[in-house]
Amino acid sequence: MTGHEPGGWVGRPLPLKEGARLVAGRGRFLDDLAPGRLLHVAMLRSPHAHARILALDTSTAAALPGVAAVLTGADAAAASRPIRPLIPTAVPLDDYCLAVDRVRFVGEPVAAVAAVDRATAEDAVELIEVTWEPLPAALDAEAATRGEAPLLYPGLGSNVVWHDTLTYGDVDAAFAAADGVLEERFEIQRYASTPLETFGCIAEHDPGTDGYAFVTNDQRPGLTLAILAESLGVPQARLRLQCPDIGGGFGNKRRPAYLLVCALLARRAGRPVKFLEDRRENLTALMHAAGGVMHVALAYRADGTLLGLAVRDVTDEGKNLVSPAQHNLIKLGNIANGYRIPAIRYEAWSVLTNKCPSGANRGIGKPFMCFAMERAMTLLARRLGLDPAELRLRNYVSPEAMPYTTPTGSRYDSGDYPATLRAALARFGYDERRREQAVARAAGRLLGIGIATSVEPAGTNLASYEIITGRRAASGSAEAAMVRVEPDGQVRVALGDPPSGQGYETVVAQIVADELGLTPEEVSVTRGFDSSTTPWLYLSGNYSNKFAVTDTGAIVGAARRVRDKLLRLGAFRLEIAAGDLELRDGAVRVRGAADRGVTFRELARTAYADVLGLPPGEEPGLEARHAHQNPLARPIDAERRVPSQLVFANAAHCCLVEVDAATGGVRILKYVVVHDCGRELNPLIVEGMVHGSTAHGIGAALLEEFRYDAAGQLLTTTFMDYLKPTALDVPDIEVGTLEHPSPFTPLGAKGVGEGGAIPGPSAVANAVDDALAHLGVVVRALPITPDAVWRWLAGR
Amino acid sequence: METRVRMAVNGQAVDRVVDVRRSLSDFLREDLGLTGTHVGCEHGVCGACTVLVGGESARSCLLLAVQLEGAAVTTIEGLTPADGLSSLQEAFRECHGLQCGFCTPGMIVVAHELLARTAAPTPEEIREALAANLCMCTGYVSIVRAVARAANR
Repeated sequence: MTGHEPGGWVGRPLPLKEGARLVAGRGRFLDDLAPGRLLHVAMLRSPHAHARILALDTSTAAALPGVAAVLTGADAAAASRPIRPLIPTAVPLDDYCLAVDRVRFVGEPVAAVAAVDRATAEDAVELIEVTWEPLPAALDAEAATRGEAPLLYPGLGSNVVWHDTLTYGDVDAAFAAADGVLEERFEIQRYASTPLETFGCIAEHDPGTDGYAFVTNDQRPGLTLAILAESLGVPQARLRLQCPDIGGGFGNKRRPAYLLVCALLARRAGRPVKFLEDRRENLTALMHAAGGVMHVALAYRADGTLLGLAVRDVTDEGKNLVSPAQHNLIKLGNIANGYRIPAIRYEAWSVLTNKCPSGANRGIGKPFMCFAMERAMTLLARRLGLDPAELRLRNYVSPEAMPYTTPTGSRYDSGDYPATLRAALARFGYDERRREQAVARAAGRLLGIGIATSVEPAGTNLASYEIITGRRAASGSAEAAMVRVEPDGQVRVALGDPPSGQGYETVVAQIVADELGLTPEEVSVTRGFDSSTTPWLYLSGNYSNKFAVTDTGAIVGAARRVRDKLLRLGAFRLEIAAGDLELRDGAVRVRGAADRGVTFRELARTAYADVLGLPPGEEPGLEARHAHQNPLARPIDAERRVPSQLVFANAAHCCLVEVDAATGGVRILKYVVVHDCGRELNPLIVEGMVHGSTAHGIGAALLEEFRYDAAGQLLTTTFMDYLKPTALDVPDIEVGTLEHPSPFTPLGAKGVGEGGAIPGPSAVANAVDDALAHLGVVVRALPITPDAVWRWLAGR
Repeated sequence: METRVRMAVNGQAVDRVVDVRRSLSDFLREDLGLTGTHVGCEHGVCGACTVLVGGESARSCLLLAVQLEGAAVTTIEGLTPADGLSSLQEAFRECHGLQCGFCTPGMIVVAHELLARTAAPTPEEIREALAANLCMCTGYVSIVRAVARAANR
């Protein structure tokens, strides 16, 4: 797997090839596309957190000039099947693309209109008359664990989708033997990474073939195609899904329901339709990162050695019927963070509430798991009179123990966690910062230093869902790619993973250039995704940090098949053994005799046109496909251990903050990241990922919160009240790197996309806590807004 | 209700009849086909739709096309040389000042305005100017570097 012959392009900090068009505004994003006869869709959304729909009258709306089609929940239920969940509930629930007789969160789509333009469609939506019967809303996830919440689905008998206690090792003995136990309760808010481009799609129905074509910025097309086929009752062969340039994803750019609404409207109208969320619709109804409450009990010896961990985790899913408990599973996979903890108990609660559905969002679950552990470790260090760095160093999984399997079944493949932290402390100037803090403290200023470290897995092993459902529907982590020498000798690559800012047109070209002896400029990577031409799997998509652990294998595998064929064709043509040939500068050349060779162009002409010139038995054409699955994925075992994710990178964050006691404001004075994502395929892209993900962590720590009032109304529906970090909020993040290649990925790379979104909130929280601890403040919840700081300082 | 509006867009005279409720961003994108101007929030916060009106940055999502009667509008298309890229655009690419590229045109418009006024801005001045716009991908670090590099040229 690691026999990669370096051509020297992988590992170079090449600027983005696609950058040339994007800096000129020449990207092709969803809203830049407009097929002829296009109609525009607007949706009527629930104004209530929980209500019955007693009557719905669309007649006035349908009669408005310019309106072509109207779709209600009842129409959708008649014309389509429910959306198939990834993690089904114990009792099957019919979840259609529009609410049928009951709404369960503010912003839930109830009806949709297709009209000649968006303004007319919105006018028509306002003419739809609904009679509502408001119902009590379930907003407190913990209340549901006590059976005290109004039910979202009376047929389910509870709002609890999953409750289970998983025990690994002798937890009771660990706690009995401990010198002490630290117990804390932590909370995390709902937030989201909010791609700047909102979600949208164009749908078209072809009555001649009864097929549907979609263009969408959905980041997980493989799964979405399966849902569309089932819900529309159409064979997958009659569906086509294309992705153009995607303006950010971060996990939450996936709304199969909207594609279904548009498909049904397009069929009714006999014309293509486009829907694009406005920002209010986006903030109200995109998938939020789940909020929740976590109780942590950490059993330790007097010297700080961790003996056991018990976690009770209540996840506020909102109305998430697609992948409830996914946050729990991911947390379970990351529960030990980078530490040796021999005995672990995890009590999972996954609870439906009358809020926006939760779902994947940069790091899914891991930011909260990391926050709980890293806050607990920091508080334990304080209790024991140890430096927070020292306590961590005493408990890390050592580099000698790699590969190390955690009690819950995660396999930490490689890395040197102590070295990562030490490098971060050195770069941060830890001792100097402590002196700076002391001087400032003496002058009455509130400076605090925060350390947080994390592991960062890549690739989702869908077999982990079996812990909840008791059966295996999908498993592992895989991706597919195609490499093709075109008839003119030029090389093109297509990948089942549509990028949303990860620079694939550059880094994939670097990988293939090395395999085929070309330069990245000579390798074209097809933009986006097209189900009719791109190789893809159900597992295909841009999610879960998977590029490093699956996509690279697919690309390398396909490129090597093409390379082998080029060598065979070249050997036949040159009448020289393939072993004496190499690929260089767009030709198959004789080793040591650079003037003897045959160009890709000539070989392609033979392969596609002059096929009588092929070696006997050789298939015409010059392309290959390959799919790669990561070898670390395993099914659940008898002890219920399962790697929910694979291949672990790691990072250490150090930050220095100043808290303004008068305003409660927090300013970040210095921020250092040292991370190890294995071999860096393109260090420029990697550093950008670290910056961006850390900014997401800072936003989650200090600014961002989807706040609901007591009636379940979302109060943060614009960027004026849902605050994103600006260039004045994010500091000049300093990044250092270590490179411990993974033995379990083809190029030694590990995940890097979630990066700072995982430990970032913890590092900032630990710093604020450090600044305020002497005033009796303990940070137990996010976000750390000025209002929260002011209340903590006032003892409220 | 429709009305006639005349303006200059990227130096070209434009004379159109538009719905009075049509925003400048929709007018540029849909009526004129200038899709380089992106729309990220439609409430004037994210800055993706920023264009220059008379040389000053403006949110095209908050302006109505009819308000631009007689105005000179410059979009990212107008800031892009016929051959190749401007030095500012080159600097964004070289410094990895973009990832998904959706905020990029608005960022470049704002940076262009800054550099037109301040030849050698400090990092703080760059951040102050860029703080008008949101980027969800880069954490701004590389965008600040890009603007500084362009200023040094």
